[in-house]
Amino acid sequence: MARTKVSTGAWVVIAAYNEARAIGRVLTGLSALPHRILVVDDGSTDATGEVAAGAGAEVLRHPINLGQGAALQTGIDYALLRGASHVVTFDADGQHRPEDVAGLLAALAAHDADFALGSRFRGATVALPPLRRLLLRAATWFTRLTTGLDVTDAHNGLRAMTRRGAARIRLRQNRMAHASEILHQIAASGLRFVEVPVTIHYSRYSLAKGQRASEFVVILLDLFARRLHP
Amino acid sequence: MTAQLLLTFLLGAIIVYALAERRRSPVVGALALVAAAAGLYFVWVPAHATALAEFTGVGRGVDLIIYIWVVISLLVLLNLHLKLRAQTEALTGLARAIAIGEAMRVGSHARPAAPSFD
Repeated sequence: MARTKVSTGAWVVIAAYNEARAIGRVLTGLSALPHRILVVDDGSTDATGEVAAGAGAEVLRHPINLGQGAALQTGIDYALLRGASHVVTFDADGQHRPEDVAGLLAALAAHDADFALGSRFRGATVALPPLRRLLLRAATWFTRLTTGLDVTDAHNGLRAMTRRGAARIRLRQNRMAHASEILHQIAASGLRFVEVPVTIHYSRYSLAKGQRASEFVVILLDLFARRLHP
Repeated sequence: MTAQLLLTFLLGAIIVYALAERRRSPVVGALALVAAAAGLYFVWVPAHATALAEFTGVGRGVDLIIYIWVVISLLVLLNLHLKLRAQTEALTGLARAIAIGEAMRVGSHARPAAPSFD
């Protein structure tokens, strides 16, 4: 039977779909960190997987495109299977700063927490369009109302969790509604969380790849459908 | 009479569908069953449909039946959506198993981690 190498320590999990243009630069930035880097290629039709593997990341490939939530769950499952002590989720489009990873992991230890959630509204944003800011604020307000969690940023993909915390996450929202779902599951777990200031850099590329205003309606519908079919 | 027979056939098909779906989607199945049974009753007792329509402010009995039909259509649509979700979840599980299985096969060197989540 196949045996797989154990690799404890923190794993940085990146869900990537058609990110061949950006993933190399993101991985170069992360290469200075003493963590395992795992890219889940979510059925890309470009060379995302090849570029990521060439940059030294471990790469998992979904045979078809499922969505960011599904890719993150695959990455979390695999990292836990490989013995990860911590899991960090990180975006593939260059919005996140590698130096914020250390702050998230440090916050877990300092606050004896199982989840460290990046918050751009406690930290900083660069070139965040006003409409996007408004939508993010509305999403945060909605999440606070529905989860009871006192968070300031509901849709930030930069977060860290302990092994215990990661094992409590079971994402069933394959697409963007997973960001709200994670917060619901954190609230349900009863485990401690802490928000950590991070900086998000918006670029033309990341804005084009990110969520559109109309997708917030789809997210709400997804969350509603989940209530009907738990 | 032709319209009555046609509606009876369609509503009868909905009742069969609702009965078949009751085990998988109890709420949707029950609602569709009630709506279709009510529709069937009003098709054959239009006087009651008119009386109820006037009572509820809909106006005409035939409008009430159309509204019931719309409700049934939405319930069937909801049921299809839920089924599609279930299919997607199965597909996700399969794709995940393939991705992880392939990575484990390629990187198989030592013992896997013990699944302790303290």
